[in-house]
Amino acid sequence: MDHRHAVSELIARSMLMLDAKDFEGYLSLCDEQYRYRISAHSPEIRKDMIWLEHDKLGMRQLFANLPRHNSDQSPLSRHVTVYTVEARDEEQQAKVVSALQVFRTSNDGGVTELFAVGKVHDTVKLGPDGPRLLARDVRLDTRMLGYGHHIPF
Amino acid sequence: MSRNEAEWSKRPQFPQTHYVNSAIYTDDGLFKEEQSKIFNKCWIIACHESELPSPYDYRTFQHPGGAPLIVVRGEDMKIRTFLNICPHRGNTLLYEPVGNAKRITCIFHAWSFDTAGRCIDISRGKQGYQDRFGCDQAGLREIRTEQGFGGFVWVNMDDGACTLREYIGDAMQLLDEHLEAPLEVFHYHKAVVPTNYKLWHDTNSEFYHDYMHYFNRATGMMQPGYFDRKYTGYPNGHASVGSMTIKYDAYDGSKERGVGWPGLAPGGWVLIDIFPGMTYNLRTSVLRMDTAVPLGPDKLVIEFRGLGLKSDTPEQRAERIRDHNVIWGPFGRNLHEDLLGVYGQGRAMRERSGSHWVIHGREEHSTIHDEVGMRHFYAEWSRRMGRLASDPFAESGSAQRAA
Repeated sequence: MDHRHAVSELIARSMLMLDAKDFEGYLSLCDEQYRYRISAHSPEIRKDMIWLEHDKLGMRQLFANLPRHNSDQSPLSRHVTVYTVEARDEEQQAKVVSALQVFRTSNDGGVTELFAVGKVHDTVKLGPDGPRLLARDVRLDTRMLGYGHHIPF
Repeated sequence: MSRNEAEWSKRPQFPQTHYVNSAIYTDDGLFKEEQSKIFNKCWIIACHESELPSPYDYRTFQHPGGAPLIVVRGEDMKIRTFLNICPHRGNTLLYEPVGNAKRITCIFHAWSFDTAGRCIDISRGKQGYQDRFGCDQAGLREIRTEQGFGGFVWVNMDDGACTLREYIGDAMQLLDEHLEAPLEVFHYHKAVVPTNYKLWHDTNSEFYHDYMHYFNRATGMMQPGYFDRKYTGYPNGHASVGSMTIKYDAYDGSKERGVGWPGLAPGGWVLIDIFPGMTYNLRTSVLRMDTAVPLGPDKLVIEFRGLGLKSDTPEQRAERIRDHNVIWGPFGRNLHEDLLGVYGQGRAMRERSGSHWVIHGREEHSTIHDEVGMRHFYAEWSRRMGRLASDPFAESGSAQRAA
């Protein structure tokens, strides 16, 4: 069975919802076992690094705490291109690799800059009710993120 | 009541040690003077020894005084530092931030050096230089290097400088016992921020800005003992801040810590600022090290390192990484806020913006919201620069007072 269309749409929706800060909508796309991670490799210390890691509850708490923090309010635009969808029908899962570019647009004047590039490695649960996100590893090539950001990519 | 220009530009009604002229954060001439009088005279952290685990491993480092450096572990396991400049035609010797090089060979004309800085080959040397010039006159420029205070590699551009231990003095006494076990860097990232390096060090030297951090307000400022934390100043501009018990579970999504740190009480927190731009920050189960590398008066690279113990099990390391990432790292709750803070200062204080003075006037018996940490820094800055930071162009005769 070809899951590519449904899986691609799920991933695109997840990015659109984060762009729109529709965090409840985003979480509704995630399985209860969802795990999220941002990682990168540092040549400087010759190590893989994890920069953010949460389960679904942790993501919910992170989103809930956002209004209490001082954060950069520049909107982000996540551009994702699904490269490969490897369905594992016997596991009812698909492994998906996508390219990611994140652009940041300043509220003052609207200048847009490329903020980060990387790959998104998703594990998608395939079921009768449609695909759901089971795990996401945002693997960043970009490691210099200026003053950083509070909202996951 | 709001103020007109004359009132706004008037010197603050504090002692001259309790405010600075904001030109010290923007003036290019002052910055160049700081490079020669401060950065090229002080011990600076270049990297951590765990970044060079094997013989011939190297790291490159942009020294804040301006020099590009190579830090390399020799066959004898000693770490040495050299200018990353070929003595022949001035080319860069090593381009990558990290690598392993038994021979350091310039790509331009293939002159080669060993990890002790000796020139070991000049290509077609005899044909070109006959007996007039040879390898014994072509060694690399070695930079004073010492290892210590948690396994960090410190460099000093001044051949005549005091030892590292003399430079640090007693400033590390709150941390010494916690740094006995060998450490390892597990997190590294850089941030480039259009601001001045002193503004970053100021942020690390005052806790009054905890009002900016919801995490610190909930877990620290609202908890008993917060207002008892005290600053202690040490010679050479270093300062420490004593511990308290942080209540981590007061932040929704955070937890009481399980792994901890050798000798540090659960929830403990020790912070030590080393002049002119390094900060040890030990809390939860992680040691964070900030190294400020200014590229100009209004452009700063900050290197952030997170360290655990070399002896960590995978489970312990994973918990340290989780602890680190809650508040630190590019997506941490506190670091983003701190960086936004100094970004905003850099933006507001650019030249001709109308900013004249920055006030460091809070006095609360050296406790946590006292601004004595910054005053202590600027006393050392003034000593080295030869005039007060409130009078950086020596217009009111502060040179004698600074001396």
